[in-house]
Amino acid sequence: MLEKILPADIFNILDKYVNFSCINEIRLRVDKPIVLSIGSQKFFLSSHGTTGNLKEAIFTSKTVLEDIVFRASECSIYSVNEQIKRGFLVTEGGVRLGLGGDLIEEKGQIKTLTNFNSINIRIPHEIKNCSLSCFDYILENNKILNTLIISPPGAGKTTFLRDFICQLSQRNYAFNVLVLDERGEIDLGNKGCIGNFADKISFAPKKIGFENGIRSLSPNLIVTDELGTEEDVNSVLYACNAGVSIMASVHSDSIESFLKKSSFEKIINEKVFKRFIVLSLRNGPGTLEGIYNENLSRLGGKTWR
Amino acid sequence: MKIYQDLGAKLGGKMKIIIIAILSLVCIFFGLKFYTKYKKRKNFFDALVYLCQKFDVEINFSRQRVQNIILSLDEKIKQNLCGLDKNFLQCLENKESLEKQKLFENLSFLNEDEQNNIFLFFKSLGRSDMENQLKEIKNFEKKFGDFLSSASLEFKKYGKLSLKLGFVACLLVVVIFI
Repeated sequence: MLEKILPADIFNILDKYVNFSCINEIRLRVDKPIVLSIGSQKFFLSSHGTTGNLKEAIFTSKTVLEDIVFRASECSIYSVNEQIKRGFLVTEGGVRLGLGGDLIEEKGQIKTLTNFNSINIRIPHEIKNCSLSCFDYILENNKILNTLIISPPGAGKTTFLRDFICQLSQRNYAFNVLVLDERGEIDLGNKGCIGNFADKISFAPKKIGFENGIRSLSPNLIVTDELGTEEDVNSVLYACNAGVSIMASVHSDSIESFLKKSSFEKIINEKVFKRFIVLSLRNGPGTLEGIYNENLSRLGGKTWR
Repeated sequence: MKIYQDLGAKLGGKMKIIIIAILSLVCIFFGLKFYTKYKKRKNFFDALVYLCQKFDVEINFSRQRVQNIILSLDEKIKQNLCGLDKNFLQCLENKESLEKQKLFENLSFLNEDEQNNIFLFFKSLGRSDMENQLKEIKNFEKKFGDFLSSASLEFKKYGKLSLKLGFVACLLVVVIFI
């Protein structure tokens, strides 16, 4: 997919000198050097691969950034404007472009994002069995416990969720799984695996996704990424009251900082989530810091990194 | 001597017929050529206006991608676009920046102003949000509509006239030589 969106010269360097499976992010900023995130380290991109020397780094221009967004939208920005308004763009294969630029607002409503000045290309990875160390903690008496994955950005929340759905399918747990893929990142299409028992609603706001999904697809488990607002929390409560298990993720660097989030007060107090899995970047993306129960007692934690 | 005169007369007669035939064909050819040129222009702008309308509808209702819209055009429309669609798609597929020379390859019947407007239209495709894209398309549709009106007028005036003139010239040649 990167071949389609990146300019030929940049792609050729990456293809020739850098192992794609190691890259987590490619950051492009107007008149700034291209930065690659490999593991937990950052490098500049030079004409001979990666470098730490700024003088050798390749710089990008505004035209290059605009061209990348244009290509990522399959030459039709209007068709992905709803995503662009929310600051991202997901291409085929789950590659997500985080966008920075000028937000155009009219009568209190965001119209679009223009004058792109930075792009963060996040490359999804399928890390097989990365959820296995937590699997037995999540499943109890043939029931999936409500689970929240807590981690800072880029630490492997989505990869974990994707693998967990896949593991369920591989182990013939025929739960009807509903994947609420708000940003189109969980399912990687042909490349990824969401198993044989999963339905998917993509690019829908969580509230609509939860309501419509429960009504129309009667799932046993709803898997969704990045809970954030109070509305998301209410949607989770709605699903729990309907008897549906939840597996979700949230941005936070530790369980302590998560507990301070006011929007989650309700579900913390009501002990909606029975398992908390904390991931970090300490030993690279996907470092398992711990598994906790609803009383926040530590149950376990092995690393898959 | 008489035999030579007869032969000369016979050959002269044949030559005359051949010259008349060649000149007649040349007259008809030029008549048809101008007629085709004007017709091609008219059909081209007709197809371009249709393309704008199709973009308008498809973007409005299904937010189809630019490439899909062009690929789903009728064969007749594609034919009338005289390869403009193919040139544009090729630029997109090859990740090349859109250039006038490539876009108007094999399209010699357009003048500078027309080329500039068509170039701007294709350059703007897929570059903005829906609202602005539709506004742009409407604007270009109007512009191409104007081109179509003048091309239709030219076709009526000069296209048919040149065809008739071709035939008249052909008849004149026949009359003069006979």
